[in-house]
Amino acid sequence: MLIDQFPPAFTFILAAIVLLAVPQGRARGALSLIVPIVAALQVWNYDTGIYNQVEFFGFTLELMRVDKLSTIFGLIFCLAAFLGNLFAWHVRDSVQQVAALLYAGAAIGAVFAGDLITLFIYWEGTAIASVFLIWARRTEGAYHTGLRYLLIQIGSGVILLAGVVLCYRETGSITFTKMTLGTLATWLIFIAFGIKCAFPLLHNWLQDSYPAATVTGTVILSAFTTKLAVYALARGFPGTELLIYIGAVMTVFPVFFAEIENDLRRVLAYSLNNQLGFMVVGVGIGTEMSLNGTASHAFAHILYKALLFMSVGAVLFRTGTSKASELGGLYRTMPLTTVFCLVGAASISAFPLFSGFVTKSLILDATASNHYTLVWIMLLFASAGVLSHSGIKIPFFTFFAHDSGMRPKEAPFHMLLAMGITAFLCIFIGVYPDPLYALLPYEVEFHPYTVGHVIGQLQLLLFALLAFGVLMRTGIHPPEIRAINLDSDWVYRRMLPKFIGSIAFAVTAFWALQTKFWMHRVDGVIARLYKSHGPEGRIAQVWPTGSMVLWIAILLGATLLVNFV
Amino acid sequence: MAKKIKDNPQNYPWLGRVFLWVDQPGSATKLFGGLAVVCLMLGLADFLYEKHGHFTFENLPAFYGLFGFVAFSCVIFGAKALRELIKRPEDFYAPHVIDTEEYPEDELEKVAHDAD
Repeated sequence: MLIDQFPPAFTFILAAIVLLAVPQGRARGALSLIVPIVAALQVWNYDTGIYNQVEFFGFTLELMRVDKLSTIFGLIFCLAAFLGNLFAWHVRDSVQQVAALLYAGAAIGAVFAGDLITLFIYWEGTAIASVFLIWARRTEGAYHTGLRYLLIQIGSGVILLAGVVLCYRETGSITFTKMTLGTLATWLIFIAFGIKCAFPLLHNWLQDSYPAATVTGTVILSAFTTKLAVYALARGFPGTELLIYIGAVMTVFPVFFAEIENDLRRVLAYSLNNQLGFMVVGVGIGTEMSLNGTASHAFAHILYKALLFMSVGAVLFRTGTSKASELGGLYRTMPLTTVFCLVGAASISAFPLFSGFVTKSLILDATASNHYTLVWIMLLFASAGVLSHSGIKIPFFTFFAHDSGMRPKEAPFHMLLAMGITAFLCIFIGVYPDPLYALLPYEVEFHPYTVGHVIGQLQLLLFALLAFGVLMRTGIHPPEIRAINLDSDWVYRRMLPKFIGSIAFAVTAFWALQTKFWMHRVDGVIARLYKSHGPEGRIAQVWPTGSMVLWIAILLGATLLVNFV
Repeated sequence: MAKKIKDNPQNYPWLGRVFLWVDQPGSATKLFGGLAVVCLMLGLADFLYEKHGHFTFENLPAFYGLFGFVAFSCVIFGAKALRELIKRPEDFYAPHVIDTEEYPEDELEKVAHDAD
């Protein structure tokens, strides 16, 4: 293995081991910042091709399959790891530091995996490494949430493995390439990807677990797992029409849940789900333009979503809560965090000059030009919905709205720096998208800044903002209240346990009843036997031991008599 | 961090003091009025250029604006109705969730802005 062909995933994994030898403090912080930069340079220097082929039990594993699709995901993962680690500069918890590096390494490894076995190994790697970012909160709630998360993530991996095994039996190949839905093998792989991608009804692990991670853990979690799944879909199932409809549903339903959710980090998790929907639609359409849209939207999304999680994280760090009902009016003493949050909000809402605008447009335009009218309308609806929760709710109810009376200090410098760099990138991509477009898998012939396009988008967003104004002034807008909302996870957290509980109750009751019935019968028999054969029974009265001796004597006498005669 | 209502706005960071404008009486109305004017102008702007939408209905004047207004309202009304159905007390799943827990203090740095 040549030094210039060292896989970037190994760089992260090696650094995670070395990290433990480095004393806690600045040196360790610096190492966790240098590693993503080194890895990004490695990714950048790879030419298209297949590297690091390893023999493994008769299979040829391809650790590095480099092309433009894997490169853009590899680069943004390195960038996300850098920004996440910068945001976490103050953390002195080895568990989180090591988990963050291993998690990023596994995600990057999976992106460059050229075969399904390597993909599976890294796929499970992301699950195992990431759960420690939740457990690192070290509370009972976080422990249970982490277990639920791990069960579902590992479940996804096991389903993937089953699919890989069947795929190998059917085709004799383990190459990770474009597949067509139809066989059990491809369906299993598709569902495994779908779980990590938070498809509707498979999505709840996301909203359950991300708010449970640590302040910095959520920022790191938000970047990798779901976008790895988007990459896997883009690699394995581009042009699968089913994905268009799955994606469209994904963009719409979280909008309503996000609107009434109180925990702002959970609002962002719903919003993440909605953004994934746009990317999945792009994969489903499967044209060069739509796949470009997916890749670029994933890139931009990782940045603005991290920025939003950072700003809410900074508020949590300073106030101890991320609940909208407890917050408000923080702009007074956290103005810079406010500004960065607003940049994130504008980016995710896709305001012109912000990153979401130049990337989401590609997907919307691909949907329209391929005449998916209903899907296009759903995406447009979801775009207005994004504004409602991520564009307005997050900054408004945290930093403005009613004064909570909290006067926390501005976020620490390293957090401001991380947010500042991320905010700069969000605006840079929005203003000058060409460098991002140059990274995309296919040639881009798209101009986001046309008059019609800019005016149309501004109309959509500002009229929606106007509706917000009207609804707030008329008191119709729902208030923020301390409550939780049920979602489909109610099925496995309440309904199934209750159902299984009631089955167990019924079985136990039936068992007890029939045991009682038979015991009653047996008791009756024993009682009757006792009555007749017991010491006081009739038979016992006429059945003394002496009569037995007499009978034996008679029998003996009879035997002697027979022998003589 | 202690809750302080009687604080001195002069101690806020300068940007925070600039933002204080939004809480002055009448500011919200001004913002709302300004937004309404901008929306009107954007709606009228549709008459000034030729639209090349993929769908014919896209070319209606102020299509995007009206769509945005209606969609946003639908989200709010839909969410309000949904809340009636699925709202539960915060401790519904307790103790297996973080919703009822305080965030561990040792992970935080709760400092008041004028704590120096």
